[in-house]
Amino acid sequence: MTVSREASGGDTDLVGGAQAPSAGSRPASAKTSQKRRPRHWGEIAIFVGPALLVFSAFVILPVVLAGYVSFFNWDGGGDLGNFVGFDNYTRVLDDGVFISSMKNNAFIVVMSLVIQGPFALGIALLMNRKLRFRAGFRTMIFVPYVLSEVVAGAMWRLILDQRGILNSLMIQWGIFDTPADAIGWLSDQKLVMWVMIFVLTWKYVGLAIILFLAGLQGVPEDLLEAAQIDGASWWQVQRRITIPLLGPTIRVWMFLSIIGSIQLFDMARLLTNNGAPFDTTFTMAMFVIDRAVTGRQYGYATAAAVILFAISLTAALLFMRFVMRRDNETAEKGAV
Amino acid sequence: MANMRRSGVIAALAASSALLLAACSSGGDDPAPTNSGTANGSDEPVTITWWHNATADPALTFWQTVADEFEAANPNVTVEVEGIQNEDLQRTRIPVALQSGEAPDLFQQWGGGEMVAQVNDGYLKDISAMVADDVERLGGSVAPWQVDGKTYGLPYQFGPEGIWYRPSLFEAAGIDEVPSTLDELSDAVQKLKDAGIEPIAVGAADGWPAAHWWYNFALQSCPSDVLQAANSTLDFSDECFVTAGEKLQEFIDTEPFNSGYAATSAQQGATSSAGLVANGNAAMELMGQWNVSVMTGLVDDTEALVADLSWFPFPSIEGSQGDPTAMLGGGDGYSCYVDAPDACVDLLKYITSDDVLTRFASEVGGIPAAPAAHSGITDPNLQVQAEYMAESDYLQLWLDTSYGPTVGAAMNDAIIQLFAGNAAPADIPAAMTAAAGQ
Amino acid sequence: MTAIDTRTESGSAPGRKKKLSDVGAAAYFVAILAAGFSIVPVLYIMYSAFRTNGQLSASPAGLPDPFVWSNYSQVLGDSAFWQMMFASTIIALATTIGVVFLGVMAAYPLARYKFPGREGLYTYFTAGLLFPITVAALPLYLILLELKLPGTPWGLVLPQVAFQLPVTIVILRPFVQAIPRELEEAAAIDGAGRVQFFFKILLRLTTPALVTVGVLAFVGSWNAYLLPLLVVQGSDWTTLPLGVARFQSDHSQDTALILAFLSLAMLPAILFFTMMERKIVSGLSGAVKG
Repeated sequence: MTVSREASGGDTDLVGGAQAPSAGSRPASAKTSQKRRPRHWGEIAIFVGPALLVFSAFVILPVVLAGYVSFFNWDGGGDLGNFVGFDNYTRVLDDGVFISSMKNNAFIVVMSLVIQGPFALGIALLMNRKLRFRAGFRTMIFVPYVLSEVVAGAMWRLILDQRGILNSLMIQWGIFDTPADAIGWLSDQKLVMWVMIFVLTWKYVGLAIILFLAGLQGVPEDLLEAAQIDGASWWQVQRRITIPLLGPTIRVWMFLSIIGSIQLFDMARLLTNNGAPFDTTFTMAMFVIDRAVTGRQYGYATAAAVILFAISLTAALLFMRFVMRRDNETAEKGAV
Repeated sequence: MANMRRSGVIAALAASSALLLAACSSGGDDPAPTNSGTANGSDEPVTITWWHNATADPALTFWQTVADEFEAANPNVTVEVEGIQNEDLQRTRIPVALQSGEAPDLFQQWGGGEMVAQVNDGYLKDISAMVADDVERLGGSVAPWQVDGKTYGLPYQFGPEGIWYRPSLFEAAGIDEVPSTLDELSDAVQKLKDAGIEPIAVGAADGWPAAHWWYNFALQSCPSDVLQAANSTLDFSDECFVTAGEKLQEFIDTEPFNSGYAATSAQQGATSSAGLVANGNAAMELMGQWNVSVMTGLVDDTEALVADLSWFPFPSIEGSQGDPTAMLGGGDGYSCYVDAPDACVDLLKYITSDDVLTRFASEVGGIPAAPAAHSGITDPNLQVQAEYMAESDYLQLWLDTSYGPTVGAAMNDAIIQLFAGNAAPADIPAAMTAAAGQ
Repeated sequence: MTAIDTRTESGSAPGRKKKLSDVGAAAYFVAILAAGFSIVPVLYIMYSAFRTNGQLSASPAGLPDPFVWSNYSQVLGDSAFWQMMFASTIIALATTIGVVFLGVMAAYPLARYKFPGREGLYTYFTAGLLFPITVAALPLYLILLELKLPGTPWGLVLPQVAFQLPVTIVILRPFVQAIPRELEEAAAIDGAGRVQFFFKILLRLTTPALVTVGVLAFVGSWNAYLLPLLVVQGSDWTTLPLGVARFQSDHSQDTALILAFLSLAMLPAILFFTMMERKIVSGLSGAVKG
């Protein structure tokens, strides 16, 4: 999952009976010196060609085009309209709704890391043992992650609406008298972002738990047992041995979580009915789509999309440079 | 087909961005596969494709019947009708069809700024010469389907916006007569609150229903000639546009709307603003003529609802420069694609004829665009609306439709910010002026 | 697990010790709590769909009494539901097949051939991880327009395959690299070229990883929202997630029916994932550490 210069083949878990090379050996391909065969380039082209074509046409080309369109005042029809240089960019960065959407994304990034991380780590550490029904627990924890964002968003709207299921329950329990007195989970400007964080945690914490459990499979049992025989308590073992060894996995999850939070769209759009209350819950991606689809401001929306991409890229590069650097180095050495 | 697709991808890859975009934006250059205009009355077989926004009866069957009648009267013409859900049609299907150069001949047209963009892109047929007498017959409601004096479509229905309310709840709160001024409306709101009834439902989560409150305040605050001029000049410098926001701000401060209105949707489900009124949880909602059909879809007992649902026009504001009879409204019409055969225009003329629209009014509902067809209206609420409309000295198309997507979006955003407490009344015309200058 | 002799170690506060058996009990407690937190809302939606609207409004949290099947049967009897189910299935299957084949074909040379520019090509593909579909959505839509693809399944399948390729190649490459060279040499002695080796041996050996990336692609396509919104909204190829919104407005006063629709819309993905879950975790653990 890291964009390292050299993927290591030496520490890959293989399932299904294939033999993994012993740790520390270098990837087989690195040792294979190829004699030049006449069909060598032809073969590569045949194998890589289709993927390269599809990927370039539908991922790279649109991104390049986005950069181009963002310099025009284009309404989505007819010709491109006027070339306006960086005008779209300055206007987007001056747009109150976009600024607040950036703040929302930042809030979501921080809260996702701060809440989901410890939560998932604690659960994964506790579950990393011979539990009965472990597979069943794991599946259940993963269910929200598998649900379509649309379905999950619609579901939570039904629950959290002013006259929704949760407030009806509270009225039934006598906490409130009428729906009008009840809590506006999705309409209170001070509350709504915390409600969104709650729903996002529910939806995505399963991924963190599953990743951590997968990572824990790589922590050698005998190491932990040895530590326990030396008299270390459970917590000491976790803190001194397990968590440090889990470091690379945690950092990969953080990377995915940051990028995912910056690019959040579906869930937030469905849960908040496209930014309610009063456009305070927009994310950057929602802003892009809203301005394009309802405002027909394609040039403007695309400029916002390019800014979103630049933020993603910067975050990814900074994270890899300063946080994941050591992981990549060890990966390149082929050592765990 | 598969080969075409592949070569298309390769071509797309080979083309520089600029070339590709030029190709993308040359929607009109492809020789359209539609029929070239045939002369009227010639026997050459012609097929017309027709997209409308009806996906359910009675409208679905009605339009099909109209198409069948037209085919019977013109043996050489075949009409292929397709009903598509309104938002899909407006946001996706029509823009895509126009861009790809394979557009239907006759399609739904909402008029206003969006149509101006379509005209500028060369997608619409100028039908002025062929429909001159129809424009005369339909009267003032045709204006949103005209650009620079040329006609690019005709409306089949046009209705005003006003306040839908539940008389039984008014009675329960001790309100004797419908509010005709803003002060009376505020009194009614207070009485309803005292009676424990949510006064006004508004689906602010969807944006536009909240924005429509400002539209109506603007309509009641500004002189008609200022509004009339703004439609074409996009000049919002008149002080009345600020006054409208100030008056609205005062009104919002009295907390007249349903609890949680900021996250309430307009039409989706029992907890939407329409659902709250339909289920008797709120007393009023500001909405267009279609609201009765939305509400009846949200309750089981439609007859009881229709018997206890009424309508009054938006109250006037005391001491303002606005025309008290001015009304905001909107309608639906059809346009012909630029390459459509003349038979398309004949079909459009037939659809908007007095006879067809009279039947439309009685069988489908709604307020027909032809004044002569008003005799077909059966619904008492629509009859009331048609009467008010006939008496109105100034009809204004929805402001966001009229001003076009760019100004419309900026205006709606600014209004939402006013509701949120993040913007001042003066910020709304300022945002509109800034958007108009782009 | 038995509690072990606890000699106080220097540096550890005596009060901070936990008995392992306590940890076991805590583990069950936490596991049940986490599983409950995840699954209760979903179960609530599913069983509430067995109730009538009357029951729902009378007591939102009650159990079905009596059990009604009519909500589920009404959705299952709706031809539009099956059309969306069909569209979702075809599009997800085509996406999966496309991703798996293009992905493994691309991963093969990237893992086992040596050629100049190989790492650059790999980085080119992995850069795609950073492009959210949102950034590319609008221009992508233009390209699809140019190719006359909106409203067709191809208009969804091709971009979905393209956007799924980076993660697929990242996951598959280590698997392909790890196949022992001896196998390739043995195949060469048998007179099989590298192309035959790919079809005869490599595809079989990497099947587990192919399942992992296939499942990820399938579920991603099944749940996709933004791209279908732009490409197939309103056409005959409308997928289920788009249908959720449509269904909600069509039957808006009928909450119980919406619950049934939601339940049926989420069921295929949950079942499919549950069946494949073990394989995905093993596939992921390779990628996480790689």
